[in-house]
Amino acid sequence: MAEYDEINRKLMLKLVYYGPAMSGKTTNLMRLHDFLAPELKGDILTLETQNDRTLFFDLLPLGFKTPTGWLIKLKLFTVPGQVVHDATRKAVLSRADGLVFVADSQQNQSVNNSESFQNLEENARRVGLDFDSLPLVVQFNKRDLPRILSEEEIRARWKQAPWPLTFASALTGAGVKETFVRLLEQVYPQIDKQFSLTEKHGMSTATFVKAVAGI
Amino acid sequence: MEILSGSFDREFTLGELLGGVPRERLGAALAALLGPEFRLSSNLGEVVAGTSGELVGAERVAVRHDLEPLGWLEALATEDKVRAAATLLEMLLHQGARYLMASELHIEVVNSDYAALQDQYAALQASEARYKELSQQLEERVRAQVSVIETTQRQLYQAEKMASIGQLAAGVAHEINNPIGFIRSNLNTAHAYIKKLEEIAPAIRATTALSEIWKRTDIDFMLEDFHALLQESISGADRVARIVTDLKGFSNIDQSEEKYVDLNDNLRSVCNVAHAQINPCAEVIMDLGELPLLRCHVGRLNQAFLALLLNAAQAMNSRGEIRIRSRHEGNEVRIEFTDNGHGIAQDVLERIFDPFFSTRDVGKGTGLGLTVSRDIVAAHGGRIEVRSEPGAGSTFTVVLPASDCT
Repeated sequence: MAEYDEINRKLMLKLVYYGPAMSGKTTNLMRLHDFLAPELKGDILTLETQNDRTLFFDLLPLGFKTPTGWLIKLKLFTVPGQVVHDATRKAVLSRADGLVFVADSQQNQSVNNSESFQNLEENARRVGLDFDSLPLVVQFNKRDLPRILSEEEIRARWKQAPWPLTFASALTGAGVKETFVRLLEQVYPQIDKQFSLTEKHGMSTATFVKAVAGI
Repeated sequence: MEILSGSFDREFTLGELLGGVPRERLGAALAALLGPEFRLSSNLGEVVAGTSGELVGAERVAVRHDLEPLGWLEALATEDKVRAAATLLEMLLHQGARYLMASELHIEVVNSDYAALQDQYAALQASEARYKELSQQLEERVRAQVSVIETTQRQLYQAEKMASIGQLAAGVAHEINNPIGFIRSNLNTAHAYIKKLEEIAPAIRATTALSEIWKRTDIDFMLEDFHALLQESISGADRVARIVTDLKGFSNIDQSEEKYVDLNDNLRSVCNVAHAQINPCAEVIMDLGELPLLRCHVGRLNQAFLALLLNAAQAMNSRGEIRIRSRHEGNEVRIEFTDNGHGIAQDVLERIFDPFFSTRDVGKGTGLGLTVSRDIVAAHGGRIEVRSEPGAGSTFTVVLPASDCT
């Protein structure tokens, strides 16, 4: 849940990239580090990995100052995708303010995607997140690979779902920023409702997105 | 340093991030870089290293981590040097953050794994307890079933025995009944004939020649004695007939339906049947009170009474006395078999109802008599009470509920 620090005039948000193993969550974060130009951008903090697989998490801090002098700080986390790290995944997921679910577009990954999505739903419930109202964007990654599900197929499959769908190729960078922007657009109304950003700090969705993404 | 679990993603202070760095060595290194007049302080005002005195004209550079200044580095040195030292410190903070977050996340994960394990353990214990209870119930049911089977086996064994006796008795009774019938009838007829002979006796006595022979052969006595003989034969035949009837009734073990009976009749019948076996050992004294009609399996109860009676007879060292007393008391019918035999020792008394327990020589007793008797009485809702004094005799009391009477 967003942390509102009246004394230090600070609002902290936690955004989490979730998804099956090797679907490109860390790559998304690295591309965002490259592409985004907010007022404040920290280094990516990566913890130990094993054969390119995240064991703990990656963290990218972003932030900006509002016209009223408040610091809005966003911490972007990735979870380890491997099934065995479920407890770690749960710990990273807790207190999240928004989610990107990074799915693997390859045809043979459908089962992993749906299992991971189910796992997300369960863990969200376990750590006390209201999954129905939680801002969530579903990104189908690896569009650059052969033997992937077509966009029409994916859209047909996810037709009933309420979440925005994006398509990306994190390796080349395509769609990464768009996904993040879609998430910010969903997160903003929620924190605005909670902390009256528009009223107190003169922000709007557009200025918020611009400040975070630097566009 | 206290590690708070459950918040690996919280904001850290300068002090926390430098937790793994020895302060004195940090201070010495910074002094070597910046000169002795320097201060590293947190944004809360706490001095982490260097002087706490006033630094007039010092360069002041923010030490940042995660976008924000966590503290300040001040020194009487060039801005380049202070900035370079601050960069070094920021790199230290970054590594400190990596370590802190990883370790705190690890603690969170371990705690949650441990909690999950504890839940599993609790669930396992619950299911183990359930299985234990189940197995106990099973054991009890097996024990109950085994005892039912044992009881049934004993009853079957006795029933078979009685059934074969019954068949034999029925056959014997059938065979005896006819001859007894015509013997009885013939004896009556003979009686009548004798009377007719007596009628002609005075006429014969009047004739001298015949009178001589009459006297010589003592026909008068013969006629008199003839009456007595026939009378004795008739009552003998009656007794045979009665015994046959009793035997038939007694051994009617496969007559399984219940009947309303006066148990006093049963006791008399049992005594008749066993008379031959009892008489050499003991005199039987019947003290029978008025009893209500009880609904029961006649053959089975007879079997129990017989067993108690024979046991009493066998308890005699010399010819003794067996007292059979029946009473209707309250809601119960009590039938006592009291003997003045050798009695039962305490250690034996505890086992007399055990199946196959017998004090008699091998082959003389099955060890089932009392067991089956108890089963039979229990099947009628009653019980057998025992009182015994070694050397003075024993009393076995069959207690039956009289609520089911008319």
